[in-house]
Amino acid sequence: MKSFRGPATSRTEGAGFFKGAGGFGSPVPFLIPALLIVFAVLIFPILFAFFVSLFEWPLSAGAGPRTFIGLGNYVTLSRDPGFWNSLWLQLGFIFIAIPIEMVLGFLAALLLNREFRGGNLVRALLLLPVFFLPVVSGMTWRFMLQPRYGALNNLLVALGAPPTTWLAQARTAYAAVIAQDVWRMWPFVFMLMYAGLAGIPDELIEAAEIDGASYRQRVFSVIIPVLYPTILTTLLLRIIDALRIFSEVYVMTEGGPGMSTTLFSLYTHRIAFGHMRMGLSSAMAIFLLILSILFAVTLVRKNLSLDELEQRGGGR
Amino acid sequence: MKKALVFFLLVAMTFTVFAGGQREAAPAAQPTREINVLLWDDPYPRALEAMLPEFEAATGIRVNIEMLQPPQVLTRTAIAVTDTATDYDVVGVDEGNVPVFASMLLPFDQWPEGQVYPRTDVTSVTEKMLDIGTWEGVQLGVPINGNLYVWMTRKDLIENADYNRRFRAEYGYDLKVPDTLQELLEMGTFFHENDIAYGFGPFHGGPAGVLCEAVYMWHSFGTSFIDVVDGTYKVVLDEDKAVEGMEFYKKLMAISPPGAETMAHVERQAAFAADPKGVFSMFIWPAQIPAYENPDTSLVSGKIAYSAPPAGPVGHGAVTGAWAIMIPKASRNQEAAAEFVYWWSSHEVAERLVQANTIPARTEVLTNPAFVAEKPHLPALADAMAVAISRPRFAEIGEVQDVIKLRWTEGVTGNRDPREAVRLIVRETNEILQRAGY
Amino acid sequence: MILTLSSRRKLITVAIGFFAGLILLIELYPIGITLLNGFRRDIVILSGQGFSFDQITGRSYEMVFANRQYMAGLWNSVVVGLLSTALSVSFGAMAAYGISRFRFAGRNVLAYSFLVFRMLPQMSLVVALYMMFRAIGLRDTIWGITLAHTSFNAPYVIWLLIPFFITVDRAFEEAAMIDGCSRWKTFLLVFVPLARPGLVVAAVFSFINSWNEFLYALILTGVRAKTAPVAVSGMIGGEVLTWGQMCAASSIMLAPVFIFTLWMQKYLIRGISVGGVKG
Repeated sequence: MKSFRGPATSRTEGAGFFKGAGGFGSPVPFLIPALLIVFAVLIFPILFAFFVSLFEWPLSAGAGPRTFIGLGNYVTLSRDPGFWNSLWLQLGFIFIAIPIEMVLGFLAALLLNREFRGGNLVRALLLLPVFFLPVVSGMTWRFMLQPRYGALNNLLVALGAPPTTWLAQARTAYAAVIAQDVWRMWPFVFMLMYAGLAGIPDELIEAAEIDGASYRQRVFSVIIPVLYPTILTTLLLRIIDALRIFSEVYVMTEGGPGMSTTLFSLYTHRIAFGHMRMGLSSAMAIFLLILSILFAVTLVRKNLSLDELEQRGGGR
Repeated sequence: MKKALVFFLLVAMTFTVFAGGQREAAPAAQPTREINVLLWDDPYPRALEAMLPEFEAATGIRVNIEMLQPPQVLTRTAIAVTDTATDYDVVGVDEGNVPVFASMLLPFDQWPEGQVYPRTDVTSVTEKMLDIGTWEGVQLGVPINGNLYVWMTRKDLIENADYNRRFRAEYGYDLKVPDTLQELLEMGTFFHENDIAYGFGPFHGGPAGVLCEAVYMWHSFGTSFIDVVDGTYKVVLDEDKAVEGMEFYKKLMAISPPGAETMAHVERQAAFAADPKGVFSMFIWPAQIPAYENPDTSLVSGKIAYSAPPAGPVGHGAVTGAWAIMIPKASRNQEAAAEFVYWWSSHEVAERLVQANTIPARTEVLTNPAFVAEKPHLPALADAMAVAISRPRFAEIGEVQDVIKLRWTEGVTGNRDPREAVRLIVRETNEILQRAGY
Repeated sequence: MILTLSSRRKLITVAIGFFAGLILLIELYPIGITLLNGFRRDIVILSGQGFSFDQITGRSYEMVFANRQYMAGLWNSVVVGLLSTALSVSFGAMAAYGISRFRFAGRNVLAYSFLVFRMLPQMSLVVALYMMFRAIGLRDTIWGITLAHTSFNAPYVIWLLIPFFITVDRAFEEAAMIDGCSRWKTFLLVFVPLARPGLVVAAVFSFINSWNEFLYALILTGVRAKTAPVAVSGMIGGEVLTWGQMCAASSIMLAPVFIFTLWMQKYLIRGISVGGVKG
């Protein structure tokens, strides 16, 4: 029991109360159910993935022997241009799509964070793309971009774009994949931001108003700092989802033309189920796991630990 | 202490899981009269599913059919069927994947005799299709559908007197169903240049589809891709002939609709059957013919002539893409499973399946005059089966397909010099074969 | 001065209305097409014809409603969605509470390891999950797929809730505990009502995650527990596209989540105004 309380980093006021108080000072009962369900379901697959990543392991037992090759798969990966390509495409995807989604979502939340007639309906309608089945979304986009009868293609051409097969050029196909994701997922950011904004006490903003702060100053000096935990977690949630993006892209482009939209999970899928090389694909997963851990550690180091969040967001 | 407790719980749970796994693996269980069947999702298995009650009544065997998209059937089979355990008693195997599963399937001569239906007479299966269910000389299962390239040509275009007069004036012969690729190119160019219709509908669907197109063109120009040489797999592609085939396809691409580079089945269907401008001539998998002949989904129903694919300089060829039905060695219901396959592959069921717009792998049914009158594509299928060719088969075909898809597409879209593309295909395929130990 | 202020207000309102309308137009255009195409014949859709009222037909819907696989999938999706939402929101809320209200060594490690676990591509986990579920008899069962969905939803809920929980004032809980409430009672009776907006948002998104999830459902379920997205993908991925039916099927799937969100907003607003979060 001691180990859980440990050297309490009680920086926030009030924390001491919770830490010390007798029989109910332990978080364990609160954590156990989630721990069980997440770790029990995921720990075996992750251990298994690590195990398999050390083998040449055909997906089907009939496709060949399973032989131990140590770190051979990791060496293969490090020399595989397809793997690095998919990793860069994935990172590019995250770095381009997510900032756009965050900005759009935040601005829309600022804009719509007031009561107006039909507000509820507008917000619910805005969320529809998030609810749209990813495969259907991918298919719809694929057809909207068709050069002969695609509605979006026709619109772009009417706006002066040269007639082209959007999904057949590496750049435009990549852009289309990003556009599809932005279209589908910025309302998600909007919803979280909106819920976060609705939780900001009016006094805070009013106080700033009395101080004579301009709207822009208010946004930067009051709203963003208070919304900081929401912004950060939204960002994290978007990143983990973007890392797993699969079915919409698969339906839209199948990773093509060439390898130009073969994002990380599409490449994992191709190696595991197309080439049936489970070992190699598991090595990709473990590589990603290590990358994610490094990423998380950096976040914590860079003052994005929970304590920091609490101080910034809820030090009240 | 609680940390230790949590850890212990986790370990305990993981062990339970493993222990459970071992229990499951032990062979026991009463043989039940219920079988699970995994099939690909297209009108053929669906037509069969509609006939199931009759089989269940005759045999008392309950059949659960699960249908998935073809690539998903491969994935599912790979995970669900092993040497010692299987979740399915009957599996449909795409011809290209037979080598992957061969060692886990029950050879046909070991299948139990049927109690209600007689054992399938394999000689009744169309000869060229029989190879599909065979691996290394062993008959593993029953090839069940006659899926292979057939050609569709717009009858209304070639029968148009005005077009014919103009075409004749230019090329010196009458419009007709193209018998050679050269004729296809000339007629297609005529229709395309005069803005009547697009000349050709290429296929750039999944990797398996692109491999089909490449194999078809290469065969037509007199070379094959991979063959068994001295008991091992070798790339036997003749560079000049392969380049010729690719160059020719590139010419066909030039008379194709915009977006030809990304045309999969769905886009091809839209271009040929729904676009008012339409496409003059292209290949089709027979399973899709009903959609092209259905007025609800097609503007050209009743206006299509069917034939074997046009020939290249070397001769005709029709790429097969058929399925065989197999029984895993690990199945505990082999008797019931065999009974089901015997029923399915019988002459009587085949006749009814043909009437339900599907294509069994039986020549005598396809050429039955009673059906031909109603379904003009059937004789074309029989013609195509006479010149059937197969894609190379081995366990690593998935990787080779990806190479082909990438390089072939680059070559025929003008993003890479065709000769260079062919060289890359040869080199990269060789690398895969070498790594696989051939 | 007053006049300019009020006219400025009006201008802002008009501008907001305009922008809201524009955003909606862009966002809803592809969905509008889908809704519309559910009522048009495939041939009309594929030939890219303009819309006219005589194209309207209910045949795609008739076929979709007659599609047993899809209807069973829809039912399974509802059950799995509700079950996994209930599980992941309750367990996730408890864990988020544990993480945000207690300070213990390894708190950050724990919180971030939930996140890291969720980052892995499903492709890499699903084969092992299949083997595991087969071993314990969960393959192709509602509980199996629910468990799989909960395993990726719970971390999601935890992280979604942390910022909400942080902003809930501790004073209420402290007061309750001083009054002699146990930790559990405090959590259930005091904290949960205060944090309701967050919980509602979490419920919505974990339901959507489960509702739209494809890959786990594809591999882990068979004839019995197949969910709707797998059935819909059967309408897309086939060699022959049944476009009208696909649109009808996905439109049907939009309806319940849309109603759910409309209904949820009431709680979102009320939760905030009643909750005293502004403390």
